[in-house]
Amino acid sequence: MSFFGFGTTADIDVVLDGSQTRKYVEHKTEEGRKEKYPLYYDGETVAGKVSVSLSKAGSKLEHQGIKIEFIGQIELYYDRGNHHEFISLVKELARPGVLTQSTSFDFEFINVEKPYESYTGANVKLRYFLRVTIVRRLTDITKEMDIVVHTLSTYPEVNNSLKMEVGIEDCLHIEFEYNKQKYHLKDVIVGKIYFLLVRIKIKHMELAIIKRETTGTGPNIYNENETVAKYEIMDGAPVRGESIPIRLFLAGYDLTPTMRDINKKFSVRYYLNLVLVDEEERRYFKQQEIVLWRKADRVRTGGQADESTAWGRDYQA
Amino acid sequence: MPQTQLSPQEEQEKLLDEALQVVKVQSFQMKRCLDKTKLMDGLKHASNMLSELRTSMLTPKSYYELYMAISDELRHLEIYLCDEFQKGRKVADLYELVQYAGNIIPRLYLLITVGVVYIKSNESCRKDILKDLVEMCRGVQHPLRGLFLRNYLLQMTRNSLPDCPPNENPEPVKEGEVEIRSGDIKDSIDFILLNFAEMNKLWVRMQHQGHTRDREKREKERQELRILVGTNLVRLSQLEEVNILRYQKLVLPGILEQVVSCKDAIAQEYLMECIIQVFPDEFHLQALNPFLRSCAELHASVNVKNIIIALVDRLALFAHRDDGPGIPNDIQLFDIFSQQVSTVTQARQDMPTEDIVSLQVSLINLALKCYPEKIQYVDKVLETTVEIFNKLNLEHLENSSAVSKELSRLLKIPIDSYNNVLTVLELKHFAPLFEYFDYDSRKNMSTYVVNNCLENGTEIPMAEQTDQILQLVSSLVQDQADQPQEEPDPEDFSEEQNLMGRFMSLLNSDNPDQQYMILNSARKHFGNGGNKRIKFTLPPLVFSAFRLAFRYKEMAEEDDKWEKKCQKIFQFCHQTISALIKAEFSELPLRLFLQGALACGEVGFENYETVAYEFMSQAFSLYEDEISDSKAQLAAITLIIATFERMSCFGEENHEPLRTQCALAASKLLKKPDQCRGVSICSHLFWSGKTREGEGTEMNGEEANPVRGEPKELQDGKRVMECLKKGLRIANQCMDKSVQVQLFIEILNRYIFFYEKGNEAVNVQVLNQLIEKIREDLPELDSSEEMDQINKHFQNTIEHLRLRQTSPESEGPSYQGLEI
Repeated sequence: MSFFGFGTTADIDVVLDGSQTRKYVEHKTEEGRKEKYPLYYDGETVAGKVSVSLSKAGSKLEHQGIKIEFIGQIELYYDRGNHHEFISLVKELARPGVLTQSTSFDFEFINVEKPYESYTGANVKLRYFLRVTIVRRLTDITKEMDIVVHTLSTYPEVNNSLKMEVGIEDCLHIEFEYNKQKYHLKDVIVGKIYFLLVRIKIKHMELAIIKRETTGTGPNIYNENETVAKYEIMDGAPVRGESIPIRLFLAGYDLTPTMRDINKKFSVRYYLNLVLVDEEERRYFKQQEIVLWRKADRVRTGGQADESTAWGRDYQA
Repeated sequence: MPQTQLSPQEEQEKLLDEALQVVKVQSFQMKRCLDKTKLMDGLKHASNMLSELRTSMLTPKSYYELYMAISDELRHLEIYLCDEFQKGRKVADLYELVQYAGNIIPRLYLLITVGVVYIKSNESCRKDILKDLVEMCRGVQHPLRGLFLRNYLLQMTRNSLPDCPPNENPEPVKEGEVEIRSGDIKDSIDFILLNFAEMNKLWVRMQHQGHTRDREKREKERQELRILVGTNLVRLSQLEEVNILRYQKLVLPGILEQVVSCKDAIAQEYLMECIIQVFPDEFHLQALNPFLRSCAELHASVNVKNIIIALVDRLALFAHRDDGPGIPNDIQLFDIFSQQVSTVTQARQDMPTEDIVSLQVSLINLALKCYPEKIQYVDKVLETTVEIFNKLNLEHLENSSAVSKELSRLLKIPIDSYNNVLTVLELKHFAPLFEYFDYDSRKNMSTYVVNNCLENGTEIPMAEQTDQILQLVSSLVQDQADQPQEEPDPEDFSEEQNLMGRFMSLLNSDNPDQQYMILNSARKHFGNGGNKRIKFTLPPLVFSAFRLAFRYKEMAEEDDKWEKKCQKIFQFCHQTISALIKAEFSELPLRLFLQGALACGEVGFENYETVAYEFMSQAFSLYEDEISDSKAQLAAITLIIATFERMSCFGEENHEPLRTQCALAASKLLKKPDQCRGVSICSHLFWSGKTREGEGTEMNGEEANPVRGEPKELQDGKRVMECLKKGLRIANQCMDKSVQVQLFIEILNRYIFFYEKGNEAVNVQVLNQLIEKIREDLPELDSSEEMDQINKHFQNTIEHLRLRQTSPESEGPSYQGLEI
């Protein structure tokens, strides 16, 4: 936009089709705020209307053409200059000319492939947005609009329970079992810790969900670990033969589906970390990767689910 | 600010105060949020409040206070949630929501609170929720925190447990329908039993945590917490549908398995007692065997004895209850206990003998309280005890030992409960147990038996029983092989023997012939008692024999052999008294002979005069041979004379030598005053001494009819005077003036006595002379305390005479001419 009064300026507004009925979801911005964005899935058509309103009635706007792009890109924070666009679709809205009045243009990207999930991480961001550009001689007038994409999976065919016996010789021997290896985001982890040998004075035991975001390739790999959930599952010292139940609802935590090698740029993986802490604050742990996937929402009144999710987060904090 | 050292107690108070302060603030916030229907914020504050229960700093007592404060506050939440759910809020969401709490303690408290509200608002998934709650609580393995958490679970579900019988024929769930799972009694039992088992494990675990030097403190703390574990059993007992059958099949086996397997003495002892206390007696009666069998499997340091005793006491009480049905006939209570106690004893090889005996004590109590009429049960217990002692090869149990004390307790029970030594004697194995005691204990027990007889006035009516009982208490009757060398304390000894003397009076049969046999039996035992004892025991025996003679006389008409029997009795007495002589007693046999002579005279059987004479003569020979002290001599002769004066059975032929002997003996006393007094006393023999006249056999042609002469007083005034004059003569010979005057006054009194009785040989002149003589002598005497008495005696005598003179009795003699 020009503040210098050269020529006429215009406001661009994008209205997506069905914006009244489309679902909006919260998504984290780079600043950590949460904002609501319209939600799209892979293969869904993105269509709508672009309105260009001239700031002053009766003025003219000369342009070299008006276009709209649908862009999916990955930004690595350490390399801000380079955005890796994995999708870039363009539609011409108007040939070069002069606009003498506010005009709207319909657009439609039919069955757009949206292979990845929107993601805002510690070192990387994957975003989808629409960009409208009014090309001019000096400064283009642009308008971007973000959308959020969720990737849905179907129920995994193989989903065995995760069972393992671990320990430290003559000191601690436990067997743990998680009911699955793959969990959807609203799933419940159910499991059990069975104590086979206890020779240390355990103070408590907790289960943590760790998110590991890996960016870069080759020698420039950055790993960022974040403890998403910390959940005490046992208080006090058990004796041999005790079995401790685990039940962890995932819906309350800020989780994304597991992402592997997204466009060869980054990965997001999740681990369950079982930690035993003894009276001297020594920690004994075992990490197991779990796979998170997004399941299509069941048809239900959305309001309540949101509320519970929100509360779960507050509560956890 | 300088840091001041707080005492552990102050430290506790401070910590508790701080925690309670947080509770106050957070619960206030919680309630405020709830009032504004901000449920999520309310739950957050509830969670903050509950976080206080995560502490490890508080002692069980302080933790309890904190727990109480918090559970009070949680009630507000519960009520609020109940209201919400009635208004239609979805519960399932909340059940999930509260599980996001990161810390397990607040999470589970909230889960329980919500879960119970869930059950209350909708019973259809009660079964699953209960199961889930009790399983999830496993996450708290810290003993103290776990115990309180599970206690909260138990308290909250108190009124929500399913208490209905299982549906035997459930309808199949139709396609598309949700099965209603509200649960039944079996689920409740499973729920509580699991909670109980887990709580017990936590409670037991406390014992093994921390330093060994804190053991005592830890055990104290465990005792403080035991009620939390016991509440599970209380809850089970409160379920209506826990009936006898389910108790037998599900509840008791479940509890016992946990109790036995935990191998912890404190827990076992408390829980076994808890079972006894919380479940009804009817249940116990139907499940005695498993319960008692478990007792045998308990930890070695568990006081099994107390457990069994507690059960016995309860059942005994139950058997006694007026409104109760009593012990059902098909339950052989005693046999079961008897058998199981013996199993317990055998299973616990290291059980102290005193505890084994204690168990027998409880058995005997059971037998007595539940089957008071079955003596054989009591005897069976005693027999078992004998067997135990035999097996252990025990003897001479020391008086102070625990075993000895328990055995005493065991033996005292039948004594005290029957309060009848005759019943006790029916117990064949009672007496043999005495043999295991040492001397002191035997004596104590014997004293106990005898005292019981005396207190209850238990009469022993048979010679055989007399024999038995005296055999039983032989440590009081005869010397014992194991008695200590040193002499017993004389006071104790005489007290103990007096007891036996009193016991004699209980040897009493209605049948005189039996009584005679009793006496013979007693004589045999007491006769062997040694010189020291017979002094106490034989005299009552002799008196008892005298009484028997009187009884025969009373029933002379029913028993034509009574005279022969009396003859035998007096022979028996003679022998018995002679035993005392042999033991070198003198005054005692002398008195007994005199008493015998009196009795003899009064019973008056055939030949009685000869027997009485024999008794009198025995008294005389004792007097002559054995009594040497002059004072004793005077006392003895006075007694002989007095006895003789009372008797009326002698004819002149026997009376004459006896009274002469009396006079002779009196005049032969060593000291003059004694002589004087003896002779003066003799005077009475010649006045009121009695002989029989007209003795003989009446010939009336048909049968010999012996005739007893009537006793007649001698009233020989002359001889009376002779005696008194002789007395005066002797008095005159006394050197001590005051004694002389005293004797004169005494003789004056005798003169007056005879004068008033109408002895004509005594007249006023004689009195005047003597009074004058006394009046002359009295003033010459030095005054002393003794003199005052003599003076007074004289004055009283004169006063009497003056009275008679001024107002003579109508039939009395005249005192005319008396100078006073």
